Amino acid sequence: MNKTPGTPAAQSLQSAQAGADSAEIVVFLADLRKSYGNFDAVKDFTLNIHKGELVCLLGPSGCGKTTTLRMIAGFIEPTSGRIEISGQDVSLLPPYKRDTGMVFQSYALFPHMSVEANVAFGLENLGIAPDKRKNRVLEMLQLVELEHLAGRYPKELSGGQQQRVALARALALHPAVLLLDEPFSNLDAQLRIRLREELRKLIGRVNITTIFVTHDQEEALMLSDRIVVMRNGGIEQIGTPEDIYENPGTRFVAEFIGNCSLLQGMVKDGVFTSETGLSIPAPGRKDGNCLLVLRPEYIRPASGKALGQRYAGLVESSDYYGSLTRIMLSVGRDSFLLEAHFPPGTRPRKGDRLELEIDPHGVRFVEA
Amino acid sequence: MQAGARDKAMAVTGLILRASVYITLALPAVIVVISSFTAGESLRFPPEGFSLKWYKAAVNSEPFMTSLWVSVRLACISTVLSLLIGLPAAFALDRYAFRGKELFRTLALSPLVVPMVVLGLGLLQFMAWLGWNQTFWSLLTGHVLITLPYVVRTLTAGFFMFDKRLEQAAMNLRATPWTVLRRITLPLLAPSVISAGVFAFVASFGNITISVFLGFGGETTLPVQIFTYVEHSYDPILAAVSTLVIVVTLTVIAIVEKFSGMDNIV
Repeated sequence: MNKTPGTPAAQSLQSAQAGADSAEIVVFLADLRKSYGNFDAVKDFTLNIHKGELVCLLGPSGCGKTTTLRMIAGFIEPTSGRIEISGQDVSLLPPYKRDTGMVFQSYALFPHMSVEANVAFGLENLGIAPDKRKNRVLEMLQLVELEHLAGRYPKELSGGQQQRVALARALALHPAVLLLDEPFSNLDAQLRIRLREELRKLIGRVNITTIFVTHDQEEALMLSDRIVVMRNGGIEQIGTPEDIYENPGTRFVAEFIGNCSLLQGMVKDGVFTSETGLSIPAPGRKDGNCLLVLRPEYIRPASGKALGQRYAGLVESSDYYGSLTRIMLSVGRDSFLLEAHFPPGTRPRKGDRLELEIDPHGVRFVEA
Repeated sequence: MQAGARDKAMAVTGLILRASVYITLALPAVIVVISSFTAGESLRFPPEGFSLKWYKAAVNSEPFMTSLWVSVRLACISTVLSLLIGLPAAFALDRYAFRGKELFRTLALSPLVVPMVVLGLGLLQFMAWLGWNQTFWSLLTGHVLITLPYVVRTLTAGFFMFDKRLEQAAMNLRATPWTVLRRITLPLLAPSVISAGVFAFVASFGNITISVFLGFGGETTLPVQIFTYVEHSYDPILAAVSTLVIVVTLTVIAIVEKFSGMDNIV
């Protein structure tokens, strides 16, 4: 991927094009739109997904991410636009003629069929011979390490096991693209983290093109090759997890993914001045009103050698998370969020005064 | 302590209430069954002695056996027809938005609300106008009409509870709509279809009003036969016939229960 610095939007465009050159396009969505009356659930949605890529549609509920996924699977007919899978226009094809494998949020395992029968179902529909089918089912169950539960019924399985059956069932057909709809939302936090790791390994092993939908930014950052941040039915930003986190293109992206401090102000002659008078160097930024975005890692308590200018602030809140302490610090009327580890006994408390430094490499600007 | 005593009093009251409801529900049938074994000549409780002679009489009585056969045939055919009409109707009510949907739903359920006598009279006139009067067909039409609400109601509830994502999952696994219907929707709806069928069968088998109005050419249904029999005589053969009816009904329900008791279905 191209890593030349530039404006975030330009950068994400570059990375999209760099990808397009290097791999075959499996899913192509062109100007996809879904309207319900006057309401656009999805609009102006254009995206290429390349072979073996894991793309995440990330956004708050109601942003159109699930609608988009369901349009790709064929459960929702787009109002306009085009969907291509492996070069074939499938926009008007019914779900059963599309080469997709979907894992539903609820897993949607057939309750009246055993695990084995669930996995075999799709193969039967493809008319695969019984002996070959049997082998494939076994292979899939081995892949998800559930061959010992082949005879069980879905309700006899734990949530994590059900998810793996759903995955095996979808992968058994070797679909061109795997679609995952909030695959972890039905699991408890501990299991979620473990299964996330497992899923990533599994997808890596079968090397399948995957689109998954989530509202959990941590999940998206950890799993994806590329993230599509959606908002109000449209694409807000496309980029690698690093792009999205380090170079948010808009205020929405900055706030939705990760934590950050936001300062309203304006840039003049390479210096950002916040509305309340705080000034921070902003080399190379064009003059005008803007919003300064600062991730908490780029703010640190001032220590021996100076990185740059120091700002004295008042601790508004100090929350202890073990490995780090999250501090809200007010400097004048601006507030900063910083996360740092303090040696035992030195952790600042509410009301303490603290000097902070800003790492100039971490300063980002978005349109106000 | 006081709260404990009150809880206990509530629990005991509840127990008595429940017991009395069950007893009241079961008592008539129990009395009929017990009196059917009488060795005496009149129907009374407690019975005099024990014998199976009234069963013998019932089985050998041509009017009762003929009418039992009419009833069974009628109930079976109207159940099947009712399911054949009710299944698509419930499907349409569940899946599609169309003009007059609520009217359609109300219409399908209306035989439950319209007094049976009114319905019977109306049907009688209508059938006479059609020239179907005094035929098996008019009786059948009436019975399909009164069983349909049970079927539509039970099936709409079944469709409502049905997780439609399962159908989507099946379609995603390359199942054509026909395969989805055959392998997912219908098997999962089977318990609803079966209970709808049982309701329909029982509603038809026990109906008397519609059958009185639409009865044809000497052949009557069993309830009508029992009813007319009571008008001129009151002997224990009635209890024997009723017991047979109870046994038949319970057997049907037991078989269906066993057959459909698929625990794997959520």
